[in-house]
Amino acid sequence: MIECRNVSKSYGSNLVVKNLNLEIPDGQFIVLIGPSGCGKTTTLKMLNRLIEMDSGEIYINGKNILNMNPEKLRSGIGYVIQQIGLFPNMTVEENICVVPRLLKWDKDRCRKRAIELLEMVNMPYEEYSHKYPNEMSGGQQQRIGVLRALAAEPPIILMDEPFGALDPITRDSLQDEVKSLQKRLKKTVIFVTHDMDEALKLADYIVFMYNGEILQMDSPESILRMPSNDVVREFMGKHVHNFTPSQLICSDLMKTKVFKTTEDKKTLECVSIMSRNEIDSLIVVDEEDHYKGVLSIETVNQRGKAGNIIHDLINADTPVVSMVTPAKTAFDMLSEKGSEYVVVLTDEGKVAGIITKTSMSKALASVVWGDTV
Amino acid sequence: MMDFFMKYGNKLITAIITHLVYVLVSVSIGFLIALILGILLSRMPKLSKLILPLISVFQTIPGIVFIGILFLYLGMIPTTVVIALTIYAVFPILKNTYTGLLEVSEEYRDAAKGCGMSPIQILFRVELPLALPTIIGGLRMSTIYIVSWAVLASMIGLGGLGDFIYIGVSTNNNTLIIAGAIPSALIAVSLGLLIDVLRKRVIPKGLRRDML
Repeated sequence: MIECRNVSKSYGSNLVVKNLNLEIPDGQFIVLIGPSGCGKTTTLKMLNRLIEMDSGEIYINGKNILNMNPEKLRSGIGYVIQQIGLFPNMTVEENICVVPRLLKWDKDRCRKRAIELLEMVNMPYEEYSHKYPNEMSGGQQQRIGVLRALAAEPPIILMDEPFGALDPITRDSLQDEVKSLQKRLKKTVIFVTHDMDEALKLADYIVFMYNGEILQMDSPESILRMPSNDVVREFMGKHVHNFTPSQLICSDLMKTKVFKTTEDKKTLECVSIMSRNEIDSLIVVDEEDHYKGVLSIETVNQRGKAGNIIHDLINADTPVVSMVTPAKTAFDMLSEKGSEYVVVLTDEGKVAGIITKTSMSKALASVVWGDTV
Repeated sequence: MMDFFMKYGNKLITAIITHLVYVLVSVSIGFLIALILGILLSRMPKLSKLILPLISVFQTIPGIVFIGILFLYLGMIPTTVVIALTIYAVFPILKNTYTGLLEVSEEYRDAAKGCGMSPIQILFRVELPLALPTIIGGLRMSTIYIVSWAVLASMIGLGGLGDFIYIGVSTNNNTLIIAGAIPSALIAVSLGLLIDVLRKRVIPKGLRRDML
């Protein structure tokens, strides 16, 4: 478990990480993402003290990293960088064994480890162990870079845009390999990228950073469904509405601008709200915003008397759904029950929005023709 | 020809040995000093921008002047020659050590640090090996310089191949001049070749490809 508490870092007057709080559970693949300059690399490098924080505390498994010897800390955490950084004066085997040798493993143990690791990425020991980095392709080099980070079996691996300089095909296969290694070896990986595709593919949790702050930390699924604000939404760009229709849920397509009234209002008041906004019904809620029912102009017309409160006129027949109900269900309700709309409720029973036939068709159009909403 | 060797053979051999000793001793001492200074200076690049030009001013003082001044203070002893030559040997190696270390790209330092190496380990396992081609380039340059500067030893009566050249010049004896000049040239060329061989041996295979 890694815990950052109120961590801040500035360069001169430029505050690059602001009061950051973050908890990373063991064995998870965490991706730090955000536009450049958002503080993600700084955050990463503060974890192994390549950059020293100005204030705050970081605990790894309950130990304050400031109380640890920085070299010892680093040799216990794997580290992979974008420029690969294999030492050109060392062979593949020597490169892999850098950290084990720093930790004074004996020769046999180092060699065994190198054999084992090379096997994991399907690079036969006999063929590769004596090669120098400049005799290999970028993809092979970064495989070795990853192995170097894994060599001393650290529980935590930090990766700073490790595949940014590779061609798309190599990148794709390295992503697969790293993800499967991480799962198999149950490592905690903290991975920095600015590539949303990469983040969505790899992450158990995505931490979205902007201007030195965490805007959202969520699973890829939820960050896609519910970007916490416009910055996140914009950064996700094409991904946000890029579902197949079967994956859409109600919160994706509801209208959040809803006209509400409370049950103690009088009929004429409600009718005037309707006429002003050119609608024919109102959502009725109680004082705490909990959904009560719907007041339609027909009911007022048939049974209402001027000056009475609307309490008795509320109709609770309108179908309701929750935010995560599949959109398909809402669609079926609309077409089968013939109602004008369905009401979307939050977990607490509050009104989140409504889905009309129009909002449904807009959402479907965006799936078919792209982001038109 | 035979006559010449009969007459000067022993002297020539002594001169060559003296010359070689001057070169080897002063280049070795110079190499050590330059290496240490270069490493120190590379740790403080800002200060080095002031110090390096200062040292290079020394380099512009003509050797004759310098040996002459040292002679006044130290007298006619081999140390005078060795000190003067050492100082001349330092600069090319120092400069190359310094630039070689600074040229080690940040990615390797970053990676080494991230692996948990201490500054000393980074220096010996990463920075120096990577700077080695440049450092040895400086050593080669120094050695060849010093072979020719060592001729000046005879100016203060301390032997070496300079003896032949100076006597030859002052007595207008071309044979003597050539007898001094050819061995100096040969020493310079062969030491240069020797260092090339050394360079091939000590530079890790992984770096050789980028060298040529």
